Amino acid sequence: MRLKSPVILTAVAGFLFAALPVFAHHSFAAEYDSKAGITLKGVVTKVEWLNPHAYFYMDVKDDSGKVVNWAIENGPPNMLYRQGWRKDSLKPGDAVTVDGFRAKDGTTTASARLVQLPDGRKVFSGSADDGGPGAKTTR
Amino acid sequence: MKNQFVGFMLFAVALGIWCLAPMSAVGQSLTAKTAATAAIPDFTGVWQAPYTPDLTKALGHELPYTPYGIERFKNVIHADDPASYCLPVGPARGIQAPMPFQIVQSPGLVAILFEYQRTYRLIYTDGRGHPDDLDPFRWFGDSTGKWEGDTLVVDTVGIGDRTWLDTAGHQHSDQLHLTERFQKVDASNMKWSVTFNDPKMYKEPFTVTLPLKRQNTVIMMYSCEENEKDRGHLDTAKQSEKPGETK
Repeated sequence: MRLKSPVILTAVAGFLFAALPVFAHHSFAAEYDSKAGITLKGVVTKVEWLNPHAYFYMDVKDDSGKVVNWAIENGPPNMLYRQGWRKDSLKPGDAVTVDGFRAKDGTTTASARLVQLPDGRKVFSGSADDGGPGAKTTR
Repeated sequence: MKNQFVGFMLFAVALGIWCLAPMSAVGQSLTAKTAATAAIPDFTGVWQAPYTPDLTKALGHELPYTPYGIERFKNVIHADDPASYCLPVGPARGIQAPMPFQIVQSPGLVAILFEYQRTYRLIYTDGRGHPDDLDPFRWFGDSTGKWEGDTLVVDTVGIGDRTWLDTAGHQHSDQLHLTERFQKVDASNMKWSVTFNDPKMYKEPFTVTLPLKRQNTVIMMYSCEENEKDRGHLDTAKQSEKPGETK
């Protein structure tokens, strides 16, 4: 599928060297492409605070105005909980910007590295450097 | 009469010594046992290691593959990772995981309760050896341990060949033999080292050492199957029928 702005495929060198999400359950490389960095802006439609990964879904509009629903994979709820996030920290209707990596299979699935609310608060994701309450960068 | 009294007194003293002697021995034995128990570090509590998805990063160099081992690693299919299928990850990878584990000590047994997949290990410290038939213990293997001062030394065999050593895809054969050392540093820190000995896959044993830190948390629920969605996205083009199995 062709995705244009506001879906921005990023090719910033620094992004490629950013920490990949911490997954206990599967190899990142078996599912996601660390070279396919992506930034998604949209509105949360559903949150699944469940093991082995917390998921949320978001509607993203492409240039033609067509709305595409994306599945965003995050760290496990336990890991997010210990970083201070709760199941209602992100709710349907929230506007979010997601930095992540696309699934290799070409579906509208991404692994989140950074999830940011419009007020700048960084939520979920579970990456070691996502700026959450327990994240290394804020200690 | 006097002789009878002296005889009675001698009998009483002898009886006293006879009664006290074993008590004294018991006392000494208890003291010795208490001292031995006191010497064993108290590892009871929740611990976590730094997440180590790639052993070569912890080692600082490549693993010492045999020709067979390097061939296996070059052709690894990441979708085959047993962890992707919610299968047990094995004794060492459980500790390398990004989740805490709880250690419970009792006489003759140390249990490690992993949050990761809510699995556990039993390490027998009562002096027993490994069973002759190791087949029933596949995946986590059979673990025996002994205390050496401030260190618990654990010997594990019978893991089988279907777990992986890490998420990066380093595998092992059914000849894998683990020697772990849980060494006390202080009340909140431990040094864990694991020596992987697998002559079929690696031409010499190698040892990875990680710090373990006490955690101010409790073990939470983690069910890999609760809302599993990854398998549908994995690159399964060359996937094996039995994930992780050594060919």
